[in-house]
Amino acid sequence: MSFNIHADYDGKITKKDLQKVYLRSIPMEHSWNYERMMHSGYCFAMLPILKKLYPKREDYIEAMQRHMELYNVTMYISTLPLGISAAMEEKNAEDPNFDTSSINSVKTAFMGPLSGIGDALYHGTLRIIAMGIGVSLAMKGNVLGPILFWLIFNIPNFGVRYLLTFLGYKLGIESLDKLEKSGIMDKVMQAASILGLVVTGAMTAENVYFSIPIKFGIGSDATTVQKILDGIVPGIGPLVLFGICYYIFKKKKCNPIVMMLILMALGVVGAFFGFLA
Amino acid sequence: MSLAMQAVLLGILGFLTNFEWFLGTCMIQRPIILGSLTGLIMGDVATGTIMGATMELAFAGAASIGAYDPPDMVSGTILGVALAMKAGAGPEMALTIGLPVASVVLAISNVTGYPILQLFAHLMDRDVAQGKDKAFQFHFVISGFIAWGVTSPIIPIAYYLGADKVTGIVNVIPEFVQTGMEIAGGLLPAMGFAMLAQTIMKKKLAPFFFIGYFIVAYSGVSTTGVSLFAILILAAMFGLTNGTGMFASSQPAAVEELEGGDFDEF
Repeated sequence: MSFNIHADYDGKITKKDLQKVYLRSIPMEHSWNYERMMHSGYCFAMLPILKKLYPKREDYIEAMQRHMELYNVTMYISTLPLGISAAMEEKNAEDPNFDTSSINSVKTAFMGPLSGIGDALYHGTLRIIAMGIGVSLAMKGNVLGPILFWLIFNIPNFGVRYLLTFLGYKLGIESLDKLEKSGIMDKVMQAASILGLVVTGAMTAENVYFSIPIKFGIGSDATTVQKILDGIVPGIGPLVLFGICYYIFKKKKCNPIVMMLILMALGVVGAFFGFLA
Repeated sequence: MSLAMQAVLLGILGFLTNFEWFLGTCMIQRPIILGSLTGLIMGDVATGTIMGATMELAFAGAASIGAYDPPDMVSGTILGVALAMKAGAGPEMALTIGLPVASVVLAISNVTGYPILQLFAHLMDRDVAQGKDKAFQFHFVISGFIAWGVTSPIIPIAYYLGADKVTGIVNVIPEFVQTGMEIAGGLLPAMGFAMLAQTIMKKKLAPFFFIGYFIVAYSGVSTTGVSLFAILILAAMFGLTNGTGMFASSQPAAVEELEGGDFDEF
């Protein structure tokens, strides 16, 4: 596959600009926080593109603020949504009728599936392979172990990340053209939102966990609250916790830092009284 | 090398691992890497490498995926390996010291690091709103180093005090606090995902969140598996390939029918 920008291309964004996006995507997780996750890293990476596309100060500020919204994706493949965003920003800058809000909705829709696939590939597969090879050597005291571990992980990390910048941009330009011509833009947007929600639900079920080991009954009849709950609907506990968090944030009743401290305190109190495990 | 000199070098090593996130989350915080580097400072690379590998296996499941925060491998590995080597003990000692240290330092850095980053997030918002892109970039670059650098002095101080004191301090911390932190590791993602859902939830499409949730809760299929099925079903429904899907015309109605239930908060 060629990653060159296609022949009849007459846009403002050059190969050099995309290389800048690639380099700036490297510290993506540097300022990661619970509130908006990779928001500042994403904006930091988009900055040269935005600066070039929006000479007017108000437009530039608005574009920067657009990319300061919550974002989170497996960081090793973050250049794919960055490339797509770059293509959409370019379109937005030249076409006054372009739906500006679609830039964020597309980028958000990619967040779910990409994180699912990226985490599985990088954390679940590549890191495990690198660890297996590295540890087997390192256990014998061989320094090649850590060196190989690092190389096996990072050659794909930095290599694929570079290619994805251009692939994302190309994908963005081409699919925007196609979607506009065929008129199925709305449907694609809806499918993307659905996909994002399904994956968020799946990831919530996978990542939020606790059990309630309070005992009932005597002797062989003894059972725990958790077993009863599992009998009714598995995973109901974490779902209720998610619902409470969601409701509180929606009503803006609680600062994320306070929420974080409450949850940590809940864990400690739960462990002390033994109602959580 | 004097004790103080080693302590300072270990502290510097600990601080430099902050570059992991700055340099593309490139895994320099993994025990397998830090074990060898700690060994280098302690004067025996091979032993450090073996201990690092042992700790790497113990921390195999520790990766920051989604909003889950793994124990602080940096202080755990550096202190575990350095103190075990100083005591002339084996890799088991490195684990015995390292694992509790890692959970304690995670607890400390969680209450220092994230609030500092939160502060910077709002500072950067202000920069952006005023169009000060240079200030934004400056704050972005220093934020991570300050937030996570704050806990770096723990390593040289703990090393200087020695294994007995450190394990003594760790033993003072009751069992339930450490268990509690592990439990909190399962609770905190609820908050992360609630915030994520905030931005993408649409009332009409809310049932799809629950579909994803219950598929995993009931069947244990992985997220990747669920996304694969979701993509295929959506492709069939919306006919993304040719623009005329099976249910293309009836789609909005189908979505409406799925709505309802008692989830009024959505």
